[in-house]
Amino acid sequence: MQSFALYPFAPPGDVAALRADLRAWLAEHQPHDDVVKRANCWASFDPDFSRALGAAGYVGMTLPAIYGGGDRHPLERYVVIEELLAAGAPVGAHWIADRQTGPLILRYGSEEQRERYLPGIAKGELYACIGLSEPGAGSDLAAVRTSARETAEGWRINGQKIWTTGAHFSHIMLALVRTEGGSERNAGLSQLLIDLDTPGITIRPIIDMAGNHDFNEVFFDDALVPHGALVGTRGQGWKQVTAELGLERSGPERYLSSHALLIALIDAAGADPEPAIAGLIGKLTAEMWTLRQLSMSTAAKLAAGEDPMVEASVVKELGNAFEQDMPRRVRAIVDCAWDDDADLARLLRALLIASPSFSLRGGTREVIRGIIARGLGLR
Amino acid sequence: MSDARDMLCDTARAVLRGADDIAPVEEVGFALLLVAEGQGGVGGDWGDANAVLHIAGMLAPDIPVADVILSGLGDVSMPHRAAATVSLMAGAMGQALALSIDHVNTRQQFGRPLGKFQAVQQSLAVMACEVAAVDAAAAAMAARLDASGFDADAAVFEIAAAKLRANRAVGVVTSIAHQVHGAIGFTEEYDLRRVTIPLMRWRGEHGNDARWAQALGRQVASFGGRGLWENLTARAG
Ligand SMILES: Cc1cc2nc3c(=O)[nH]c(=O)nc-3n(C[C@H](O)[C@H](O)[C@H](O)COP(=O)(O)OP(=O)(O)OC[C@H]3O[C@@H](n4cnc5c(N)ncnc54)[C@H](O)[C@@H]3O)c2cc1C
Repeated sequence: MQSFALYPFAPPGDVAALRADLRAWLAEHQPHDDVVKRANCWASFDPDFSRALGAAGYVGMTLPAIYGGGDRHPLERYVVIEELLAAGAPVGAHWIADRQTGPLILRYGSEEQRERYLPGIAKGELYACIGLSEPGAGSDLAAVRTSARETAEGWRINGQKIWTTGAHFSHIMLALVRTEGGSERNAGLSQLLIDLDTPGITIRPIIDMAGNHDFNEVFFDDALVPHGALVGTRGQGWKQVTAELGLERSGPERYLSSHALLIALIDAAGADPEPAIAGLIGKLTAEMWTLRQLSMSTAAKLAAGEDPMVEASVVKELGNAFEQDMPRRVRAIVDCAWDDDADLARLLRALLIASPSFSLRGGTREVIRGIIARGLGLR
Repeated sequence: MSDARDMLCDTARAVLRGADDIAPVEEVGFALLLVAEGQGGVGGDWGDANAVLHIAGMLAPDIPVADVILSGLGDVSMPHRAAATVSLMAGAMGQALALSIDHVNTRQQFGRPLGKFQAVQQSLAVMACEVAAVDAAAAAMAARLDASGFDADAAVFEIAAAKLRANRAVGVVTSIAHQVHGAIGFTEEYDLRRVTIPLMRWRGEHGNDARWAQALGRQVASFGGRGLWENLTARAG
């Protein structure tokens, strides 16, 4: 990875029409949410909106039609999600199922799992969460200890997951668990698709520093799931999870989460902005435009069947830095009271408080830089 | 990349490696690169110019290759020069990264190559991200110039954004490259200064950060908040 070759982003079909149709649909169906809900909108939970979006064909777009999907190209889906994020649409309910759980079930799941879960995902009605982190396994994911023991009736699960976003509203969890007793590190791990209404599962909220309930802790106390809950190959969980993380890192959500703030800044500045603000808008735009090129190029590479692990990490690293920096730079220049109730001020406050999480969720900054360093041949 | 561009890049590498004056560059006909075939030129596109200038930035940053290539346009504006400079900067930054990786893999301290230390790895990862960003910006800017038939006014949004992004990267790339090199990188003899000094110079040429930030910021203000996104997505590339 010494030179970043720009991969052509060329979705099939009429992209301008795809955008225009979606914008028209949004004009009619997007709720008139408070501006703060439009920021970090992939954490905004709105099941009615998700269902309507699914009915309009904008969820599960790349899944095959036989499972209720749209049979669309991954880059068409990319166009749709960047539009949804730029508009600040509340996509949080179905976000994880659409982005990663659905594609993972399609790739590794059994026929029975596909038939059972994919149609609900494509309707925007079935929600998923990611069960990776544990109290003793954060950056060091291979330290996972939650165990699943195979018995005559199925898998018996014991242990605990933590920081699980959306577990309280999700129907299923795709969990990384230790299926081989006595195994160590990244060997002996498997992925299980767990129905969260299974007896023996307890979900407790964790309130974040913004006062929101997004993540949870999830306890497994002898919870029994059927043999058919295993996804892919027993013992290959580590490899499958790594593939899943690739889907997670390079999307437009890594640089568009705070787009509502840029919009508010531009609108507040007016057509003839004072020089300091014009300069800031110019710099932020240059960075955002560049990130869009990087993210589109990585998506195109992914769609072409390549594995742009390092590029995806570059997008996440730069995107996170941009999004954490933006509210700080606005705060440094725009004069407003902390508790001012103008849109710009409220957005600024919300994003300043939310932004420390950007370089933690989905792999910490240090972990991501480590992946890039490996790509440079240094480790 | 097309075969024609591959050949062009081979030629560029051959004449530019170790070059210390402009004559050989003129001889291979780079002045005709952007001239249409119908007018006796090579009929190359801005993507070709970007590729050659990238190599020039790596191998011969002090030779005025950009002037030679731009002379084919006839009517050269300041944004054209800024665009060419972005490509040079991308190449020079790539070279600074390559030299740095090489150095940390060879130089040993505390009984190991420097590149085995996590602090050094993380610094180089940061640098690699900046280099990737400038590469992407240069390529996207070139695509826009091609879509607009080299019309710098039509591509001024992309030129401004790319030059600003490259300018910003200069500070990060030069400081990390020099830091991981230690004293040897601060010598006249060692190659690093051959790319880092031109980077420092280019940041202020054909529009420094303040110049392009004002221009782009005012253009975006005229689009309005939501208009920025509509504009971005309506532009080619
Ligand atoms: C908003 C949010 C949502 C999340 N959602 C989910 C979810 O849905 N599902 C899920 O499974 N997890 C989720 N997570 C958890 C997230 O993946 C972890 O927070 C992350 O992996 C880091 O683990 P940790 O918090 O235990 O920090 P630690 O691993 O303890 O790290 C603390 C700090 O030390 C650094 N560090 C650790 N090891 C090293 C090392 N070897 N070298 C250098 N630095 C190091 C880290 O980079 C970090 O800066 C979420 C987190 C947040 C903040």
